[in-house]
Parts: sequence; C-alpha cells; structure tokens
Amino acid sequence: MTHDFPRPWTAAYGAEIAPELAPSAHQSIAHLVAASTTAHGKRRAFTCVVPNGMNGSLSYAQVGAMSDAFASFLRHHCKLAPGARVAVQLPNGLAYPVAVFGAFKAGCVLVNTNPLYTPDEMIHQFRDSGAEVLVISDMFADKLAEVIPQTQIRHVVLAGVPEFFPSVPEMVVRGVQKLWNRSLPPVPDLGVPVLRIRQALKLGRGLPAVTDWDALRPDDLALLQYTGGTTGVAKGAMLTHGNILANIDQVKAMGARYMTGEDVILTALPLYHIFAFTANLMVFFDLGARNILVPSPRPVQNIQRALENYPVTWITGVNTLFNGLMNEEWFAAYPPKHLKAAIAGGTALHEAVAARWQTITGTRIAEGYGLTETAPLVSFNPLDQDVRVGSIGIPAPGTDVVLVDDKVEPVAQGEAGELLVRGPQVMRGYWNRPDETEKTLQNGWVFTGDVAVMDPDGFLKIVDRKKDMVLVSGFNVYPNEVEDCLSKMDAVLEAAVIGVPDKGTGEAVRAYVVQNPDVAAQITKEDVVAHCRKHLAAYKVPRSVIIRDELPKSPIGKILRKDLKAEVRAEFAKGA
Amino acid sequence: MLTELETTLLGVMMMVIMLGMGASMTPRDFRIAFRKPKGILVGLLSQFAVMPFLGFLLAVGLGLPPALVVGLLLIACMPGGTTSNIFAYFSKGVLALSIMMTVVSTLAAVVMVPVLLSFYGGLAGVPAESAIPPANVAQVLVVLLIPTLLGMVLRKLNPNIGATVELIGSVMGVVVILFLIVTWVPRNYQLLLDTGPAIYAATIGIGLIGMLFGFWVARGLGQDTNRSRTISLETGIQNGPLAVLVITLSFAPALQEDLLLIPVLYSLFIVLSSTAITLWYRRNATREALARDAAKLGG
Repeated sequence: MTHDFPRPWTAAYGAEIAPELAPSAHQSIAHLVAASTTAHGKRRAFTCVVPNGMNGSLSYAQVGAMSDAFASFLRHHCKLAPGARVAVQLPNGLAYPVAVFGAFKAGCVLVNTNPLYTPDEMIHQFRDSGAEVLVISDMFADKLAEVIPQTQIRHVVLAGVPEFFPSVPEMVVRGVQKLWNRSLPPVPDLGVPVLRIRQALKLGRGLPAVTDWDALRPDDLALLQYTGGTTGVAKGAMLTHGNILANIDQVKAMGARYMTGEDVILTALPLYHIFAFTANLMVFFDLGARNILVPSPRPVQNIQRALENYPVTWITGVNTLFNGLMNEEWFAAYPPKHLKAAIAGGTALHEAVAARWQTITGTRIAEGYGLTETAPLVSFNPLDQDVRVGSIGIPAPGTDVVLVDDKVEPVAQGEAGELLVRGPQVMRGYWNRPDETEKTLQNGWVFTGDVAVMDPDGFLKIVDRKKDMVLVSGFNVYPNEVEDCLSKMDAVLEAAVIGVPDKGTGEAVRAYVVQNPDVAAQITKEDVVAHCRKHLAAYKVPRSVIIRDELPKSPIGKILRKDLKAEVRAEFAKGA
Repeated sequence: MLTELETTLLGVMMMVIMLGMGASMTPRDFRIAFRKPKGILVGLLSQFAVMPFLGFLLAVGLGLPPALVVGLLLIACMPGGTTSNIFAYFSKGVLALSIMMTVVSTLAAVVMVPVLLSFYGGLAGVPAESAIPPANVAQVLVVLLIPTLLGMVLRKLNPNIGATVELIGSVMGVVVILFLIVTWVPRNYQLLLDTGPAIYAATIGIGLIGMLFGFWVARGLGQDTNRSRTISLETGIQNGPLAVLVITLSFAPALQEDLLLIPVLYSLFIVLSSTAITLWYRRNATREALARDAAKLGG
C-alpha cells in the first residue's frame, strides 16, 4: 500500500482549515510548556474544583516554575537519566500538570496510570514500563506496600486532591478526607524514599536548573500510554513529542476560531486518559486558556460547582457523561451560559443524546474519533458545518484514512471496511512488544479494528468494532445501531448490546437496558422488543432483553461490552 | 439563668450557625430544589403541622404548668436545627434534603412560629404574662435570616470562604450545646434533680415522638424509606438553642428560669436520642442497601 490515497474530505475543511498540517512551532512538549509559560505568565492556567466548590488555582508562571523545580528534583535528586520513565497516577488536580510537565522538562518519559488500578494492574504497568519514579495520589498510598517491592520504582512522591490549594481550603478538604470520608490511608513503610510533592519541589528549587530539555526533538519518546487493546494485556503505546505536538495542532484546526486563549474548558474526564490529556491539558495550555479540573466526575453531581462557578466555554466528554449531566436537574434547568461547544469522543455518541444536548444547551456536541495509538485525534466534525448525525467527521489535516476489507484491499466507496489511519500523530509502536506492533502498525498505517463507511464527501461513520459485530444467520448486526435505537426509548437510561451464542442463528442479539429513574413508566422486555421491531430489520431485533440497575463502565464512562460478554461466556459455560 | 454576656455570646453563636447554614447552599440550589418541592413540602408539613400539635398534646396531656407549656410549645414550633444535617449524614440519609429542609423551615419560621405559638398558646390557655410576644419571635428570626442569606451569597461568590464558614457553622452547632451544658447544668444541678418525670417525659418525648410521626407521615405521603428517615430526623430535631435565645431576648432574667427549663433540657437530650435513632437508622439503611445488592445479583 504505497500508492497515494485520495482525500475526498479536503473540500469540507472550508476556508478556515488548512488541508496540510504545518510542522509544529515547537521541538517538544517541554518547549511548548516553556513558551506558553512565558507568553501567558500571570493568566490562570488551572483551577481544581472539589465537589463542595472549594478550589485552588495555578497561573502559567506558577506551573512553569513548579515544573522546573520538579524537573530538577527528578534529574538531580532522584538521579534520573533522560529517557527514564516517570509514572504519574493522579486524579485530575493541580499536582498533575506540575508532575507531568516536570517529567517532560527532565527529558523523561511519562507513564500515565489510572489511579483506580488494582495492585496487580499497577505492578504490570510499572514493571512493563520500567518506571523509576512514581507520583501517586495519597488516597491510594495503601496499595504501595504490595506494589513497590515488585517494581523498579526508587522514589515515591505523594500528592493530595487539594494540593496547592490556599492553606485553609486545603486543610478543610484534607480534614474532611481524613476524618469524614476516611479516604486518606496511612503511608506504609516501603523501603524507598517517600516525599510529598511540596517537599520534592522544595528540594528541586535548591538544585541546579535543568536546561537540557532544549535538546529534545520531535522524534523523542514522550509517553507510554497504556491501552487494553484487543488482546487484553495492557501494552504501552509509544507516543513521541512530535505525535502529541502534531495532534495539538490537529485539534486546534478542528476548533478553528472557536478556540482562543480566553476559553475556559471543563476537564471532568481523567487526564491520565489520552483524550483529555491532549484535548484538554495540552491544547488549552498551548492556547493560554484555563482548565477547570474536576478530580472525579462520579457522581455527576461532583461537577455542579465547577460548572456553576466558572464561565465554562468548552466541555469534553463521552456519551455517558453528557447523558448523566442532562439527567441532573441543576444542569438541565441552568445549562452553562457561556458554552461554545462540546467535544465527544471515547465511544459512539448516541443520536438521542446529541439532539437533547442541542435542545438543552443550544450548542453542539462535535463528535470526534481517535485512539490511544494516534495521540488520539483521527477525525472530527467541523463546527461550521451542519450536523451530520452519527458521523465521526472528516480526518484531521495531515491524516490519511483508508477503509479495507479482510484482504487489506481498499473497499468500494460507500462500503464498510476496517479503518486504517496514517499521519504525524501515529505512534511509534508498542513498548517492548514487536509482535503486537506488527499486528497493529504496518507501513505507518494503524489498524484500528473499527469498521467504518465513508460518504462521497469523506465523512466517516463508525459502524462498529470489528470484534463486537454480531453475526446473526450470516447477517452483520452492529451493536451501536441497536443501542442507538434502544436509547431513543424514554424509559431507557442507557443500553448495551452484545452477541450471545445461539443454536439456530449462530449468534443472537442480546440487549441490556437500564431504567431511566426520571421516567415513571417501567421498561418491559415486551416494550423493548416492540420498539425495535418498529425501527430495525428483524434480524437486528434483540432476541433477549435483560433489565439491569447499571452497566459495567470504564473509568471514562465507556460501557464495557467485553465485561458483559465475559458474563455471558461464564453463563454459557455453566449451562453447557 | 443566663447572664447578659452569655446571652450575647449565644446570639453571636447563633449568627455564626445561621451564616454557616446559609453557606451550605447557593441561591440557585434553593431555586432548583423548589422545582421538585414534594419532599420539602412533606417536611414542612411534619415540621409545622405535626410537631406543634404533638407539643400541644403533650403539654395538655401531662398537665404542665403554663411556663413549661410555653417552653414546650416553643420547642415544638421551632424550625429544624442545623445538627440534624450531621445526623442525616451519619444515618446514611439524604443530606441534600436535610440541608434544604433546615433552611426552608428556618425561612418559613418567620411567619409560622409566631402564628403557631399564639394559636396553640391560646388553645392551651397560656396566661398573657408568660406568652411570648409574636413580634419578638418574628424579630429574632428576621435578624437571623440576614446571616442566612449572607451565607448563601457568600457560598456563591467565594466557595472557599463559603465552605469554610459552613464547616465553622456545623462545629458551632455542637459548641452551642456544649456551651449550654457548661454554663447551665452546673448552676442548675439541683433543679435537674428536682425536675419531675412528667417534664423529662415531655422533653425527651417531643423529640422521639416527632421522629416517629415524621417518619410515618413521610411514608404515608409516598416518600421512600431513606427520605422518610431523613425527614424523621429533621422533624424531631428542632433548633433548641434558638428557642433558648428567643426566651432570653423576650423575658426579664427573673422570669426566664421556668420558661428555659424545657428548651435547655431538650437541647441536651435531643443529642442523646438522635444519636440512638441515627444508629438504628444507619443499620436499617445498610440492611436495605445489602438487600438491593442481593436483588441485583439475583436478577
């Protein structure tokens, strides 16, 4: 596949988006951070808001100086060499940008880690990445006794949720955590030095400044971003400084004139996830805008004060977050006044959710598409154009996209095929996994595992995950389509669809639905089936319907079909 | 009974408590809550219909002397106390409903308390010299509304200060009761021993029976068990220190002793009875949560 691929979507860029991506103005993320710090000095960069509304802020200059000190701490106190891995396992908060930018300035590689990981998952990720320093939330310090001895971690740095808040609010929040919620465990004896981040910064300030980040180049490794992928075991996608820098510019192209330094973006999605990492943290730091960090978006009520107290202009979210917000009275009655648009990603955005959002807020949800392996943005919906329902939009500038069949031959226009992506945002491969890399990355193309169709204008629509497709008597059923149909029922809060083994049809469609608590009418299996009969071809209608109180979800709120499938496997193994 | 300094101190502490109570929400929270007012209305009903009536029945049934009747009626007519929020939290109740009921009943109290007091006072045949002048009650409550509203605005304008003030207010709620214990009990030790069982029955009974009725009124009006437990605590737990303040501001020191007896005793005993009820409610809440989980797994 070396021939040129057509880009039918360039016309849709309109006048404002350049079809070719210019090289980034920066050599590395550290360069970008330094430049933005100088340019925006006194402006507020981050405000962290806890559920009761208490908050703390850092200016661009403060983040710059603190991350410099952290870089000195890493290089001169922890004696890390450039390229060493630093694991950061923090919920959204003011310590996150300080630790992460500090790691980049030290020339180190960031290993983003989910704070809710179990000790086993932590051990796997730290051993696999070879992380030498761990920055972790003090709420999870109790897991370390088991983890640290089995890893190469030599230094542990603790940061709190109210870290860098003004002293009285910090004391109050910490007091509430300690005495009321009991969420601050004692730190076990680990056999390695443990410091709080303030102490680390104090040490760093007394050490020589680190300046050799100036030697970083776009091809240098910036992040190991772990992803479950299709095989189950988490593997680290190697993203370079150049990948992230390119993707920042690609997101900015998508936002065009709607993204400025005056913006205020709500960051309720976790920053350790690549979506918020690039779209919220990096893009808006580059712009000189303000990030409102919410440590935990669950329950959704935790976001209330952040939305009420700040003139939020942008929100990033996933389908479940938008749905959750709109089901809150305080949100539906008083939607944010200054909002320009929202960006959806992570999982398919349901039509019903997008339409309701438009009605309630008067703004659009622009659906984008991306994956960890592409830092993450691949395609987006230009904000100036009419909404194309269900479309993930057109590829970002500088990106090539092709849809292929099982023989890796391009499919005819309008037909469904696996989506392959090539561009400056594509990872270098999986860390220490040549076999996995070979399966996913060929000649610069990423095999996404998503099945898509492209319309004549180049707009893409994801039909489904290749592996989630249900094969009913030889017909392809895409769970998304059935879920979308189900979520249009008033009584249905959310839905998931999977395939289950069936003697007659090979596989059969099974639907899981959750009752909407705001609707008095109870869902019945009969109603669900009747509704689907009306809107879907017979083979797509669920054979079985299961009513649940909740559905399994990932940390960012993606509904996990794989967990439901695992339940089904167990069920059928027992029944057989 | 209480010295002038103590009365002033009590007034200041009440101001801080009300400031903290106001700071537990913003004006917008208040408007949002009234979009679905059923829970709050049920709470108001049990607060201002059930409790005063119970107070009246107890007063008449136990044959209390007029000064004690006034004290008991005043306690029965008071709005919810801020300590109810702490108990709601520990009983795994609906904290937001508890806070909202406290604030709403405090606002409504400006009108409701004077009206209810003169109504039940008249019915119980309280002589004019013992009756609390309705204007006085209204005045005290209006004065206390100022810090309440100020607190709400403060929470909106500066959440860091607002939430800190809320916390200080909650702590002050406990401090006031300790203050009453420390200043009043040692000096009235003998009085406590001399006080008859009827008075203790009235004092402890009004809180416990209020909680019992609060629960069943809420259940009867379709609230779920968890919300009903919250409404129950809210109904039984009255703003005792506020009643003490109203009396000290309305009567000359010589007249205060008998009038204050029930409000002070109530403020002390309600802490004990609420703690017991809270432990019981907490167990019920846990049991129900476990049953729900079990049903989920079975389904």
